[in-house]
Amino acid sequence: MRKVKFTQTNFHEKLSTIIEEFPRLDDIHPFYGDLLHVLYNKDHYKLALGQINTARNLISKIAKDYVKLLKYGDSLYRCKALKVAALGRMCTVTKRIGPSLAYLDQIRQHMARLPSIDPNTRTILICGYPNVGKSSFINKITRADVDVQPYAFTTKSLFVGHTDYKYLRYQVIDTPGILDRPFEDRNIIEMCSITALAHLRAAVLFFLDISGSCGYTIAQQSALFHSIKSLFMNKPLIIVCNKTDLQSLEGISEDDKNLVEEMKSEAMKTLIGQGGEPREGAEVLLTMSTLTEQGVIAVKNAACERLLDQRVEIKMKSKKINDCLNRFHVAVPKPRDQKERPPCIPQAVLEAKAKEAEKEKKRLEKDIEEENGGAGVYSASLKKHYLLAHDEWKEDNMPEILDGHNVYDFVDPDILQRLEELEKEEGLLQDQEDDEVEMDVEDLTPQQQKELAEIRKKKSLLIREHRIKKSTAESRPIVPRKFDKDKRFTSERMGRQLSSLGLDPSKAIERVRSKSRGRKRDRSTDHDMDVDNDGSNKKMRARSLSRSRSRPPTNELVPGEGFKDSAQKIKAFKLGKKSVQKRNKDAKKGVDDDHDLRRGWPVMTEVWMNVGGIKKIRVYDFESYFLFGRFHVCFILVSCYTFLNLWIFSDNYEMIFGFISQSSGVLSFSCLLFFLVKFELHKYESHFKLQARLQPNMKWALQNRRKT
Amino acid sequence: MRLEKCWFCSSTIYPGHGIQFVRNDAKIFRFCRSKCHKNFKMKRNPRKVKWTKAYRRLHGKDMTQDATFEFERKRNRPERYDRNLTENTLKAIKTIDKVRFRREETHHKNRMKGKIAKERKEARKELDQQIHMLVAPGAKDKHLSPAKVTVKVQHESTDENRMEE
Repeated sequence: MRKVKFTQTNFHEKLSTIIEEFPRLDDIHPFYGDLLHVLYNKDHYKLALGQINTARNLISKIAKDYVKLLKYGDSLYRCKALKVAALGRMCTVTKRIGPSLAYLDQIRQHMARLPSIDPNTRTILICGYPNVGKSSFINKITRADVDVQPYAFTTKSLFVGHTDYKYLRYQVIDTPGILDRPFEDRNIIEMCSITALAHLRAAVLFFLDISGSCGYTIAQQSALFHSIKSLFMNKPLIIVCNKTDLQSLEGISEDDKNLVEEMKSEAMKTLIGQGGEPREGAEVLLTMSTLTEQGVIAVKNAACERLLDQRVEIKMKSKKINDCLNRFHVAVPKPRDQKERPPCIPQAVLEAKAKEAEKEKKRLEKDIEEENGGAGVYSASLKKHYLLAHDEWKEDNMPEILDGHNVYDFVDPDILQRLEELEKEEGLLQDQEDDEVEMDVEDLTPQQQKELAEIRKKKSLLIREHRIKKSTAESRPIVPRKFDKDKRFTSERMGRQLSSLGLDPSKAIERVRSKSRGRKRDRSTDHDMDVDNDGSNKKMRARSLSRSRSRPPTNELVPGEGFKDSAQKIKAFKLGKKSVQKRNKDAKKGVDDDHDLRRGWPVMTEVWMNVGGIKKIRVYDFESYFLFGRFHVCFILVSCYTFLNLWIFSDNYEMIFGFISQSSGVLSFSCLLFFLVKFELHKYESHFKLQARLQPNMKWALQNRRKT
Repeated sequence: MRLEKCWFCSSTIYPGHGIQFVRNDAKIFRFCRSKCHKNFKMKRNPRKVKWTKAYRRLHGKDMTQDATFEFERKRNRPERYDRNLTENTLKAIKTIDKVRFRREETHHKNRMKGKIAKERKEARKELDQQIHMLVAPGAKDKHLSPAKVTVKVQHESTDENRMEE
């Protein structure tokens, strides 16, 4: 049960995280919402998320139902079967949502790589035809590294760069090129830029390729301009003529000039609509060349300036500014008198500046190196400028190590003096040394020394033996004396050792001999023979001396253990052993798990029982046998009866009527029997229902459940 | 180039030998060989490991305080090169070494002073107490080098006799 619940919670968690992590298209900024719609269809996206949601709910339902069923499992096998079924169903549900998960994964990966565009901050948008030089412009003013290639649609998505102006950070957004097409025909890439134009409050730089090297004429470009000028509402617009190194603004044809003028007037309209101050037209139309970097900075400054003004104005008009306005105060020093006070530069600085101009170049080490053969040939002497007491010391190599000491550790200006002191001290110490060795204790005599040596030898032998024994104790078997091949346990040896110690071994050997058992053939004697020598023979035939006789046999009753008699004790031991047996948790299919109770009638099953080893008898399933047995009997009875009647009373019609009535009676009797049998089923009804509940087929089981 | 001291055993580490371990608190441990390094990794205290200089100094086996040690000190301020000074330093190193060696010898001798007397006393004691390894205490003839005594042992033939009866 726990396993099913655990799987369900896992699934639920994971799917919930997926659903929650994906942004809801209505909750995010409309720019991002539209961008996501452009890139991945909004409907598709919502559909996929919805599918996951339903899958999640399905899995929860499955788990709930199966957990309830599991409570009624009677055998381990059934519980296992239910668990397997539950997990299986959850898996199939998950497999079904596989494709939508894959789709969402793709979306996730793509979304992760979208550029981080803040819709609320200062933004500059660059738009125009493909190949006019938008990406090269953004490369010039920011640190963005956008691909610049001669083919159209090099830029396929939005790129963001950042630039600074007047200590403020500006976002510069590079868009893919837009072609002049009706709105419905636009592809995803163009839609990206359209979305950006539509939603972001930014200054717009419309790029115009004066030279026509992008492949589109000025006419086409201006047509595009007019078609998307609706998107330029309320945005400071600057028209930038790029690639002036190839073709200058003055050199274009009259028609093109007119078109350009038209665009300029449109742009001026936006300008007027904003500030209310008609300024010079130069602010709206600018020329530059990204190749020669002429005018690039001017364009950027103009754009930033325009944007800043617009934003400041909006802020001023809004209500929020009033809260802050009273906190601002620009302090300007009031002129005291008409005296002019220019910045003050000290004279020395001016002189130094003048001198610097006329100073000649110094001869550097680099020049010396070059003169003498270059980098690999000449290595500069780093010791050239050392400041030492004598110049000839400059090229000295000082040793760093001497006799395992660091020389630098010993270097000391007054080392000589200290050395002298040390030597003096040393001299004194040497005089003080006395060479007498005090010998209070006398040495041992050679005899004593020999004895001591022997003692020590014996001791070391013992210790060595003990060490060997200790290290091999685990692997060394205890060998009985009859396999003693070293003959270390003979009485002669014992005798020899004792006598070497100075003792008389004869008594000890006697004792040893008397305790031994002797040979086996000596031990086994006839009962007739040893009338007078019972005692010693009995002793020899006694149990092996190795086993101690202090313990009784296990089944014998010992007072104090708490058993009534030895039979009870034996039984107790048996029960104890049985309880320690391992429980069979294999959960394999058993005899009772075989019923197919889908139909109303139980199936007759034959069970072969093993009786007495070889012989097997057939034992029918009880209920089935009972029912079918009954049925068979009724049927046979009825048929016999009818046949009998027909045969006897075939010619007599009256008798036939009588027979019919009889047969109807018989039929009714058989029906009664039949119903009796059916009613008897009531006895087993609860049993059937229970068995039905345990069916793996959930539908059938649920139906049955509803009936009760 | 500098000769460092092994953190564990205090022997000098020549260039190209050993391992340096830098701990997170930027303390550097230099080891002369893997023996010291492994002992360090086992968190053994060099003051308790018998063969290290730290142990020997701590337990008074080697000389601890001496004037000769004052000469060798790590100076962090570099001195301006002086040829005469360098020559004198080199000569001084040699004499300082000799002096130190002599002093260590005297230290060792002083340490070993009462050894012979102690050994003799112990030998005498052992002889007196452990004599039972050579001569059993209950032996009748307690001469110092007992001769081999052969004892004849007779077999008991009582069982066979009984059988025949």
